[in-house]
Amino acid sequence: MPLAPRLMKDAPPIGRRQTHDEYVAAGGYDALQKALGMKPEEITQQVLEAGVRGRGGAGFPAGRKWTFVPKNTGKPVYLACNADESEPGCFKDRQIMERVPHLLIEGCVIACRAIGAQSAFIYCRGEYPHSVRALEEALAEARAAGKVGNDVLGSGWRCDVWVHKGAGAYICGEETGLLSSIEGGRGYPRIKPPFPAVEGLWGCPTIINNVETLANVPVIVRDGVAAFKAAGDDDTTGTRLVGISGHVERPGHVEIDPAKTTIRELIEVHAGGVWKGRKLKAVIPGGSSVPVLPASAIDVPFTYGAVRNAGSLAGAAGVIVMDETTCMVDALVNLMQFYHHESCGQCTPCREGTGWLEKLVTRIWKGEGAARDIDLLDSVADTIGGAQAGKTICFLADSAVMPTKSFLKHFRADFVRAVEEGGSPVWRARAGQGARAAAGAHG
Amino acid sequence: MADVKLTIDGREVEVPRGTTVIQAARKLGTDVPHYCWHPGLKVAGNCRICLVEVEGMPTVQISCNLEVREGMVVHTESAKAKQARRDVMELLLINHPLDCPICDQAGECKLQEYSFEFGSDGSRFQFPKVHKPKHVRFSEKVTFDAERCILCTRCVRFLDEVAGRDELDIVNRGDRNEIAVARGAELTSPYQMNIVDICPVGALTSTDFRFKSRVWFLKQTRTVCPSCSRGCNVTAGARWNRLLRLVPAENQAVNRWWMCDDGRLAIGHVGADDRLGAPLVRKDGALVETTWDEALRAAADGLRAAGANLLALVSARLTNEELFLARRILDALGTPHRDVKPRAWERDELLRTGDGNPNAEGARILGIAPRAGGRGLAAWGGSAIGAAFLCGEDLDDRPELLDALAKASFVLVLDSRETATVKRVATVVLPGVTSFEKDGSFTNVDGRVQRLLPVVSAPGDARPDWRVLGELGALLGCGAAPRSADEALRALAAAEPAFAGLSLGRLGALGREAAREAAR
Ligand SMILES: Cc1cc2nc3c(=O)[nH]c(=O)nc-3n(C[C@H](O)[C@H](O)[C@H](O)COP(=O)(O)O)c2cc1C
Ligand code: SF4
Ligand code: SF4
Ligand code: SF4
Repeated sequence: MPLAPRLMKDAPPIGRRQTHDEYVAAGGYDALQKALGMKPEEITQQVLEAGVRGRGGAGFPAGRKWTFVPKNTGKPVYLACNADESEPGCFKDRQIMERVPHLLIEGCVIACRAIGAQSAFIYCRGEYPHSVRALEEALAEARAAGKVGNDVLGSGWRCDVWVHKGAGAYICGEETGLLSSIEGGRGYPRIKPPFPAVEGLWGCPTIINNVETLANVPVIVRDGVAAFKAAGDDDTTGTRLVGISGHVERPGHVEIDPAKTTIRELIEVHAGGVWKGRKLKAVIPGGSSVPVLPASAIDVPFTYGAVRNAGSLAGAAGVIVMDETTCMVDALVNLMQFYHHESCGQCTPCREGTGWLEKLVTRIWKGEGAARDIDLLDSVADTIGGAQAGKTICFLADSAVMPTKSFLKHFRADFVRAVEEGGSPVWRARAGQGARAAAGAHG
Repeated sequence: MADVKLTIDGREVEVPRGTTVIQAARKLGTDVPHYCWHPGLKVAGNCRICLVEVEGMPTVQISCNLEVREGMVVHTESAKAKQARRDVMELLLINHPLDCPICDQAGECKLQEYSFEFGSDGSRFQFPKVHKPKHVRFSEKVTFDAERCILCTRCVRFLDEVAGRDELDIVNRGDRNEIAVARGAELTSPYQMNIVDICPVGALTSTDFRFKSRVWFLKQTRTVCPSCSRGCNVTAGARWNRLLRLVPAENQAVNRWWMCDDGRLAIGHVGADDRLGAPLVRKDGALVETTWDEALRAAADGLRAAGANLLALVSARLTNEELFLARRILDALGTPHRDVKPRAWERDELLRTGDGNPNAEGARILGIAPRAGGRGLAAWGGSAIGAAFLCGEDLDDRPELLDALAKASFVLVLDSRETATVKRVATVVLPGVTSFEKDGSFTNVDGRVQRLLPVVSAPGDARPDWRVLGELGALLGCGAAPRSADEALRALAAAEPAFAGLSLGRLGALGREAAREAAR
């Protein structure tokens, strides 16, 4: 399990930002210079051949997406960089923005060049003030150095990059909700078609890519396709930045070769293993929206294909680790509170259904549920969505369904126990404390 | 555009490229259930009830946003489509208050209809419902109940896209979402009541109509709004012989699906206290009731005596048939002094024409205007008036003319209300009816001849104006009185090329264009 730092190769330690000059000294902005000498289609072709898949969750090949921009519409084209990073368990994009922001800026400018855009908007999570500051400082440097602005590297070509701060809604990370939000509207996802590549920001062709996806672009252009593909396999090319959190000794992030690193290694080697000497119970490998895996299923490399075959998704690479003491009912209550709270409420199944899921699992959690509530929970989840359901405008609903179904599939016993024993252990402990406190107050 | 052939529920249909599946299905007479989709608004795709199954597509699809493709095979009634619809239905109801017994929408509520069609008879949801504000004032005209709202955004889109006033939006998130006007503001759009019509549930109600009647007790009649020359098609609802509400009726050539609020609310005159129920003649300075025979004879005598000196003011609120019968009388008398009273109305880009005479175009085609040497209304104030005929008109807003008329020897008034004009200056009063009480037609601003139908019956002994004018004409030697409005229109059609070939029956529900060029 060799480390494969590439994006983070020259990154300063956490808390410090690589300056423009440091970046240039390490070969930064060479790729941009090279890209300016290429035809836009050639850049797209390279990214296509490199096979880099979107790092925001869905894993769609970036180069393919870029080819969807219609030619000669007479309208401006835009790039939107998804830096909302609001998926529970994910904190990898932040590493790029706060420590190597010029890599992202260079990626944005090259991507603009490829798709025919002259403006890029980096939509940054509002709760990331450090990221916003790092990006803005780096942008000021890049503008001063002529890497961004009216005359990029003296080529006469204009390209601007703007940072747009989000205001705290998870749904604004969904790519079309993000567009609505940039336009100043309510962060409502949009029905497709039209697809954003055809009609995105202000009705104009728009490409939306995740921070890490775009940060890979300078690497591809600078080192070439073959070098890029040296990491990963045919299914997942390049490295992946992974965040590991939960019940581990050393939570944090790591850049890996996904083909050569298993989920077990992520936990045991890179995160120092399950904490307190405990055993592993469950892992959510790709951020809170993907199916949970039992401890028995983690000996798979962290490629899209392998994790999918194991029954989950590599998603946005937020590995959430739960030890043997975890009650899965507690964990699911937490997740359902989140999805209920974050549903934008635009479409019926998700608006009404996420609340129902939360209420049902809470009832089980508090020991007020009956055995049939477990089946009802499973069935209500089907009512709302699921993989390949297509019942809702965006995937948030399915993102609530996938954990629910998988929790019940792998950890049904926890739910049965909560029903039979009058609530989850955490709830009972809390209720007991409450009772003691109340007794104390009166005694 | 080339047509595309597809199959929906086993039946082939051909539609233009760009058509959506929900529209193609309508062409086959299949109404795919829908809440948020409205043919006059942009697609929102949020209610998710119009889900259908399409062969070769892994997920169910919303038919409102799915463009047809050649060879597409769609199932609206497959097990998968039906299940998806039932699922959405169940979810729509979990937080719905189910207060149908006190809800104005009951009887024309899509939630009720679809529930009845394919909903289930119980609920798996056993939690307290989400509570939201009820009876919220959106304006003096519109009242909102957030708990009944299914957040389809039809109202938001209508105000933004059609009325051009972005006055509603959604606040909060998820199942706490609510439709709202900006804090401290109220709706101002002169078209805002259309949102009450298009709201598929009882969330938006008309403050005017609220709690007046269960809709299933209404006698519904299709007719035309009489408040301006657009002639918006309406469905008039009546009960206990009272006109209770107007709602727009779709006519793509006239008002699409909409009408303005002023037109909608202008129904008070129908049931007004001052309606005339009997003919009157002035005796010793006072108006006294009389019989139709006597009144008509007095009217005919007065007109005959005035002859070519009669000043006539003919209302462009009368029907085509009535204008024709009035013109026949004026022609027989040989008077050149004829005119129409202009009536101002708000004008805007959407529907309101600025002309408050619903049949201004009919009057124009029929040439109701001063003839050579004739005195138009503008010249009525100039010198003394000997005799006048206010045919469907009043001059309540022109006191100086009433002063002049008070000195005239003969003033005949045909009207439905006891106006100040009637009280002060009429020597003979013939009680006519409103446009909601008679058969006939108006010609709208674009030359479309549209049918009026009686919605309620007139008070007392009042008679439709066409009948009054027909009988009066007969006494003046204009020929036999028509026995129906239709007969009058046929006579008009025979006499006036613009109306050639028309009869009330041939107007159908949507009206027909008058051949206007012929009239110029
Ligand atoms: C509810 C929801 C939240 C999302 N949040 C994010 C996010 O915070 N960051 C992100 O990059 N993608 C997020 N996505 C995925 C985006 O919709 C989109 O697929 C992605 O930005 C595309 O970029 P990529 O192809 O480079 O991955 C989210 C999707 C959903 C449905
Ligand atoms: S699925 Fe949920 S979050 Fe997505 S548009 Fe519908 S209501 Fe909003
Ligand atoms: S008030 Fe009526 S029209 Fe408006 S969103 Fe709610 S249900 Fe739809
Ligand atoms: S626009 Fe004219 S015809 Fe239409 S409803 Fe208003 S007043 Fe009546």
